[in-house]
Amino acid sequence: MNTGKLLQVEGLKVYFPVRSERLFAKTRWLKAVDGVSFEVAERETLGIVGESGCGKSTLGRALLRLVPVTGGRIMFDGHDLLTLNEKAMRPLRRQLQIIFQDPLASLDPRMTVGNIIDEPLSSLLPNLHRSERLKRIREAMRRVGLLPNQINRYAHEFSGGQAQRIGIARALVVEPRLMVCDEPVSSLDVSIKSQVINLLQDLQAQFGLSLVFIAHDLASVRHIAERVVVLYLGRVMEVADRDSIYLAPRHPYTQMLIAAVPIPDPTVSRKHKLDVVRGELPSPLDPPTGCPFRTRCLYAIERCAAERPELRPVGKSQVACHRAEEISTPSRENNGG
Amino acid sequence: MAAFLEIRNLSVSFTTPDGIVHAVNDIDLDLNEREVLGVVGESGSGKSQFWLAVMGLLAKNGRAEGSVKLEGEELLGLSHSRLNRLRGEKMTMIFQDPMTALNPYLTIGRQMTEVLTSHRKIKRREAERRAIEVLKAVHITGAEERLGMYPHEFSGGMRQRVMIAMALLADPKVLIADEPTTNLDVTVQAQILALLNELRDQFGTAIVFVTHDLGVIAQIANRVVVLYGGRTMEQARVKDLFAQYRHPYTEGLLYSVPRLDAVRTERLVTIAGNPPDLARLPPGCPFAPRCVYVEPRCRRQMPPLEAVGPDHLRACFHAGDLGRLQAAT
Repeated sequence: MNTGKLLQVEGLKVYFPVRSERLFAKTRWLKAVDGVSFEVAERETLGIVGESGCGKSTLGRALLRLVPVTGGRIMFDGHDLLTLNEKAMRPLRRQLQIIFQDPLASLDPRMTVGNIIDEPLSSLLPNLHRSERLKRIREAMRRVGLLPNQINRYAHEFSGGQAQRIGIARALVVEPRLMVCDEPVSSLDVSIKSQVINLLQDLQAQFGLSLVFIAHDLASVRHIAERVVVLYLGRVMEVADRDSIYLAPRHPYTQMLIAAVPIPDPTVSRKHKLDVVRGELPSPLDPPTGCPFRTRCLYAIERCAAERPELRPVGKSQVACHRAEEISTPSRENNGG
Repeated sequence: MAAFLEIRNLSVSFTTPDGIVHAVNDIDLDLNEREVLGVVGESGSGKSQFWLAVMGLLAKNGRAEGSVKLEGEELLGLSHSRLNRLRGEKMTMIFQDPMTALNPYLTIGRQMTEVLTSHRKIKRREAERRAIEVLKAVHITGAEERLGMYPHEFSGGMRQRVMIAMALLADPKVLIADEPTTNLDVTVQAQILALLNELRDQFGTAIVFVTHDLGVIAQIANRVVVLYGGRTMEQARVKDLFAQYRHPYTEGLLYSVPRLDAVRTERLVTIAGNPPDLARLPPGCPFAPRCVYVEPRCRRQMPPLEAVGPDHLRACFHAGDLGRLQAAT
């Protein structure tokens, strides 16, 4: 089946067993990702947002089968990834790469830049000649803005922003088609974030990459992603294109997330109401019945506790909320007063 | 009126295997009662070391020079016991990661009441009453039961509330908050900011809020100082800084960040280069290597901090208009 989608995720579930110390106690399950579906087209950037504990990083790792998947389907370029054994998975690993939040922690400080970038190359493309590998390493370094003479330097000698460039070069060198970026700029300095975001956009244009951009920083996601998935306690609350998400958020949770972002303008933010921001993320071990967000929702009614809302089309968005049609979407302008 | 906290020519240096590192260079700063002062800077700005020096909490290889006066009393060179007393009663500091500041083996109640029973000779019953009072002030529900809980039983946002509550126990005049919301979700951050604003109104505590996020500054501060490479680049009332910034670095910070309230642009403006290495600071202005307005003398000489308006200071030689980065957005 060819739908023009590079990645199709259907009903993905990642459950972690949590064992109690009590004898013969029943194993409880932490549902980190609980029935998530979405698609990513070629050359598209999909953003995934949510608070910590919403399952977004687990979801990113599950796409590469870096965590055991409990159920659902991951179709990548026509291959059903979850049915493949490790040998059959190997050629696809080259096409699916990931970069992590903390670049200094995800790079071995005792390895040189050249060795770090060579690692995926020599393990995924073992038949390449040394000279060809060197050529590719140099090319990847050039693409991400590292200097040729840095090839023998150690990772620990680099600043956070430079280290993230090494991480990107390591992913890029095997010429992937899809790159999962898990909070790639969260730990970087303000002045460096925009450099790395621009770099990712440039690379995407040059190589025709698809990106899954996971972040809690909504402003960065709005900048880079064309479509956005909003996760809460392992479930999708809303999926929409970037303009709809930010200009007309439909789900009360999306509205809350956007209201919480501090705006760098004292004349706006002083008036900016934070009343919509309430409560804390409930324990994922004991999620609320019905809609997982209902315990913090301004609009919750009895039905929300009794019946779990499924994702359904509302306007141009997909929303999992019983009351999506009734809820007005406050825009930033009329929400000040 | 003299400022409540008066800092003059404060410099902080560290002796390291790589040589002497100058983390803070000759900074003057005043803090007035009841105000919220925002301190903006990235890694290598010296923003944390500056306040650790004010608190007398520098690491062993650190050295502070200059003058720090709290209500007229010089703090640099003060005895340990006197400093400890002032830290308990007048100024207190909270940090980015509350988990490292709390003892994982002791209940919250024990950690909170110990401060009062051992340092202030307050009876345990009374200390518990006070602990419950401040937990309620930071909106922790079920405060009585929470006293028996351990730090790991609290979420990240709750732990930061507990830290703020502990800081409030002694009813301090100054609360120094070093990136207290940096690792928290935006939703939790919004709640903590609202809480700090409320505490300032309720108790009249002056707050120093150290952050790299100008959005947070806009939301909480009255006045702001922008640091880079251990020096003050600009200092102004918040509304003036956002409306009429006068330093190229401030402009860079304001326009390189994607904003939810602005029209989306295809490309982000960037500040080229990397944050400064404090062990190898260039002569002249530390921002010169990354500045789009740089002039030859910027690389030789540090521009003095000069008044450019009421309560508005900047350290920059550039005489013409700014706005190149703004125009690029």
